Amino acid sequence: MASVESSTGEPVLEVGEFYELLTAQLESAYGRRHPRWVRGEVAKVYEKSHLYVDLVDAGSSASDAKRPVLNAHCWASQWNPLKRKLAADGVTLAPGAVVNLFGYVDLYAPQGRIGFTVTEIDVAGLLGDVARRRQELIARLAGEGLLEANKRVPVPAVPLRVGLVASPQTEGYSDFTGQLLNSGYGFEIVLVATAVQGDAAPAQIVRAIEDLDRHGVDIICVVRGGGSKGDLACFDDERVARAIATSSTAVFTGIGHTGDESIADLVAHTRAITPTKLGEEIVTVVANWYETNVRQSARRLLDASGALLDEASEYVAERRRTLIFAVRDRLRAEQRHLSGVRQRLWLHSRHTLESATRSLASSRQLLSAYDPARRLAQGWSIVTGADGQVVARLAQVHSGELITVRVSDGSFASTVEEMKGAP
Amino acid sequence: MSVTGDWNEEANELNAIVASFDEGEVSVDDLFAKLERATAIIEALEARLETTKARVEELAPRIARVADDE
Repeated sequence: MASVESSTGEPVLEVGEFYELLTAQLESAYGRRHPRWVRGEVAKVYEKSHLYVDLVDAGSSASDAKRPVLNAHCWASQWNPLKRKLAADGVTLAPGAVVNLFGYVDLYAPQGRIGFTVTEIDVAGLLGDVARRRQELIARLAGEGLLEANKRVPVPAVPLRVGLVASPQTEGYSDFTGQLLNSGYGFEIVLVATAVQGDAAPAQIVRAIEDLDRHGVDIICVVRGGGSKGDLACFDDERVARAIATSSTAVFTGIGHTGDESIADLVAHTRAITPTKLGEEIVTVVANWYETNVRQSARRLLDASGALLDEASEYVAERRRTLIFAVRDRLRAEQRHLSGVRQRLWLHSRHTLESATRSLASSRQLLSAYDPARRLAQGWSIVTGADGQVVARLAQVHSGELITVRVSDGSFASTVEEMKGAP
Repeated sequence: MSVTGDWNEEANELNAIVASFDEGEVSVDDLFAKLERATAIIEALEARLETTKARVEELAPRIARVADDE
């Protein structure tokens, strides 16, 4: 390269030479060996193997054409481990996030751009930001009454028709469905398969909840096994929280976690710490209902049937005994009545007979005074004419008539010789 | 002598007959007829009871399986 001087004698650099000089200067102050922390707000982020981030001053206006922009990039070799670390902590580099980047300046001569090569990202700062945004979301949901909205949705006494939002290939899905299907109760599971992590998950989960809500299931269960904060970030998504809160069907969550519960858990009707626990709780609800309404009813039914039959048997037996005694009593009463009548009749008859006997004796005694035998014994006699008639008057006989004279010990014949009237 | 009413109906008639005996309202002429009727009712109730017991005995194990299911 030939050395060129200006008209004033000062050296003139070619563009390439200028960039080499500039690069050397920048590297000596801000290059690979002198990395620095830079704080800014993510204005744009783009990933294609490598990560590209446009960083601006936090709070600056996008309409400000003069605001400084740092074009940062992170090569794939650095970005991949950083990406995993961020994901594990549930951090996503998204526009609006305020982030501290560690790296060095480089100059890309073909485009005349100064760039910033990122070698480290301050996760602690990002986590604080995530926590703040999380709290803001919770406060917003609380202010709108959405933390309690789904809890007021009534749950059927026997939630056998279960809508399920899950990924069928996961352990969480198997653990949850295993509890229900092995319970012995007739659960019907209506599955809407979704991603349960990653950027696509929130929209899919929202759509699944809305579909199941329209489908008419008893409850909607959102399940996901344990994972890192990053894996579970979709359950802190505002769209998911609002879909759960505004569902007209009770939403149960069984999202495995060891730290803070997710916002989905907060707005859900019922939450369990794992899919298995959620399955157990639902089975318990059904089992309790079955115990109270079926088994106890069956036992009461058996007892009541036995008691009713015993009571009916005792009733019939008692009526039979009562009837027998009543009939006997009635017959005995009639017998006593007849016996009394008979006795009275007998007494009355005897009395009558005795009276008659006495009357007869009296008559007999009276009549005995008129007995002809007594008169004959006293010397009286009875005269009968030839015609056998007792002669009581003279006119009944005539002189010479043969008459018979009866005395006490016999009779004799006599002839009428003289007739004289009574003086 | 047919007995075709339901349980309560028949039981009420039986109760009335027993009550008439208790109160001495039954004449000797009516006694046999009433006793015959009451006997027919009792036998009908017992027959119905036995039938019901037999049916309950058939169902009881099935209900017991539900009650004792663990």
